[in-house]
Amino acid sequence: MSDILLITLRRMRAPIILLIAVYAIAVIGLTLVPGVDPEGRPWRMSYFDAFYVMSYTATTIGFGEIPYPFSYEQRAWMTVSIYLTVIGWAYTLGSVFALVNTPAFRHAFARSRFESRVRQMGEPFYVICGYGQSGRRLVRALDELGFGTVIIESDPERARPHLLRDTRNPSLLLVADARATGVLVAAGVTHEQCVGVLALTGSDEANQAIAIGAKVLARDLAVLARATAPAVRETLEAFGGVVIVDPYEAFAYNFGVAVAKPDTLRLEDWLSGVPGTRPPRRIEAPRGHWVVAGHGRFGRSLGAALEGIGLTWKAIDLKPERCGEGGIQGSALLEANLRAAGIEQACGIIAGTDSDSNNLAIVNAARRLQKKLFVVVRQNHADNRSLIEAARPDMEFVQSLVMTHECVQLLTTPLLNRFLMQARRQPAVWAVGALGRLRDSVGDTVPHTWALVCDPAKLGIKYALVEAPEPPFTLGHLLMDPDDRRKHLAAVPLLLLANGRDQLLPDEHTALHAGDRILFAGEPGIESLQRRVLNDDGAVHYLRTGREPARTWLGRLLESRLAAADRQAA
Amino acid sequence: MNLEKVIFGAFVILACTLNFGFFIGDISDPRLHHELELAATLVVNLIAMTLKFGDRTQIGAIHLATSIVAVIQLVAAAMVWGWATHVAKLPTAGEVMATVVSLSGGALVANFISVTLLIGETLRRIR
Repeated sequence: MSDILLITLRRMRAPIILLIAVYAIAVIGLTLVPGVDPEGRPWRMSYFDAFYVMSYTATTIGFGEIPYPFSYEQRAWMTVSIYLTVIGWAYTLGSVFALVNTPAFRHAFARSRFESRVRQMGEPFYVICGYGQSGRRLVRALDELGFGTVIIESDPERARPHLLRDTRNPSLLLVADARATGVLVAAGVTHEQCVGVLALTGSDEANQAIAIGAKVLARDLAVLARATAPAVRETLEAFGGVVIVDPYEAFAYNFGVAVAKPDTLRLEDWLSGVPGTRPPRRIEAPRGHWVVAGHGRFGRSLGAALEGIGLTWKAIDLKPERCGEGGIQGSALLEANLRAAGIEQACGIIAGTDSDSNNLAIVNAARRLQKKLFVVVRQNHADNRSLIEAARPDMEFVQSLVMTHECVQLLTTPLLNRFLMQARRQPAVWAVGALGRLRDSVGDTVPHTWALVCDPAKLGIKYALVEAPEPPFTLGHLLMDPDDRRKHLAAVPLLLLANGRDQLLPDEHTALHAGDRILFAGEPGIESLQRRVLNDDGAVHYLRTGREPARTWLGRLLESRLAAADRQAA
Repeated sequence: MNLEKVIFGAFVILACTLNFGFFIGDISDPRLHHELELAATLVVNLIAMTLKFGDRTQIGAIHLATSIVAVIQLVAAAMVWGWATHVAKLPTAGEVMATVVSLSGGALVANFISVTLLIGETLRRIR
């Protein structure tokens, strides 16, 4: 606000001084010019009269000649004054409109409005730096999860689509370079409702600067940075506290799981998707020889994943320095190169060049030589969706999708990440069972996930675990509807953290202890029902016994009297 | 030489000198206090205030503050004068004139402070 005031004041100095001078000349002149009153006596206007006359004349209101008809001398002076003051006003108003239209003023105005709206943020929000494809998807996902978003994007063109967005939670956008810590502060990094910062710009260096800046400003913040260059990853790892997301590595890892344990991958995708959307289909990549077309960062990551599972592969790339040992230099569109890479014996192809039309052409060329191929395609631009669909891929790499998955997984519930890490170590059969349980109770959509803590400071938990520990309070109680305990809540306990031990898919009869943490997946709204139980000893009593206890002093008195009467009768 | 400083210095000092000219003389005698001089003082003070708009420095802020004080005092003096002669129809000599002149005297103190600030600032620059 003070910026706007300063700019306005500084720019308005000249017009205001002109106006003061013009008024002074006109008013003082009018008091000096001789006039005549109705009785014919010489008369001069007082300052009050002169200022009054000039005020309504200069603003073109024109009440006429007050208090007496003017003399010719006065009229002559008035004529001069009218032109002077009208010019003064025209100049002043012109300056105001010109000022409002200057980019500097508009920028200051937008910035100050943005800052005041950030200050008024009442719900938890994330700061997202970079509004590219990943940024846009993440804003939607976080909105779905009930978080506000503050976006910083340096390119005004990229920021434009945000105007048309409608989100349920507040979403603000600032066009600025987030590498400056002042911008981060303006975006609310130090705001008490800020939960985390996501550095998702296209440049690793910028992400590094943003992540370090945010971490320095607020130590306890969750900071997540997209980084693919090894040097930047090392710097951030050495700095500490920053979660690094590498979309290529993440996809390569998923690809590896798709070959080794397809059901585990499906479980992972299912739980980390945008809640309420359709879950992804099951993907099973075959074991055999692979051809990797395009051996850049993406191709290298996938090659490493293939090697990790112990499969053979051959790379084709246009640039000789990228081919490495045993790679084939040349276009992957040429049959000779594909044959040399062993496409006829291959079970799959990875089209990972940075051109979407090339990728489509490579897939078509490869399919001509080998009908049964598992196809992995990299999609570079969101607009080329139809192009990639034409390639009928079995698995596609869309950087923004992978980023969203990874970020949502890491941010919203750290316990979910822990669960997924554990799930990766389980045999493939276990994942099938887990998927079945999820589908049975939640249905065929991506569920919400949330964590509950058995905190004895809460009234319900205190009652259940300390004041009345018998019968034991179990996980099953938390899965009953506190309004009607015969109803089973549509939620699955995924992970129970008790005494530092992890229990995957815990049983309903598991007794709970103080300090336990439980990860649930289920429909939206169930979390609030469960939190009610945690905070209400009456609800705990009802869930155990099926009877609603009296909540008031009078009610309790009546109840105990009735109970005493019952005992006597018995 | 900085033209902006010359203009500002001239207005600050002119505001003080004009005010002094109006203020000096028997406090209740209208013959010693010309209304044109009060009008000129008010206008010059208004301009001196406007000249300090938008100055980010600390000294600029204090200049602005003293000018605002002077302007408030002078506007009050002018309003008292106008009210007394046109609305209340009181004789100018005596009480009314004393009020107007004492209000302008207050503005004069603010003008003195402005001039002192100006001198202090100049000396600091020179040293």
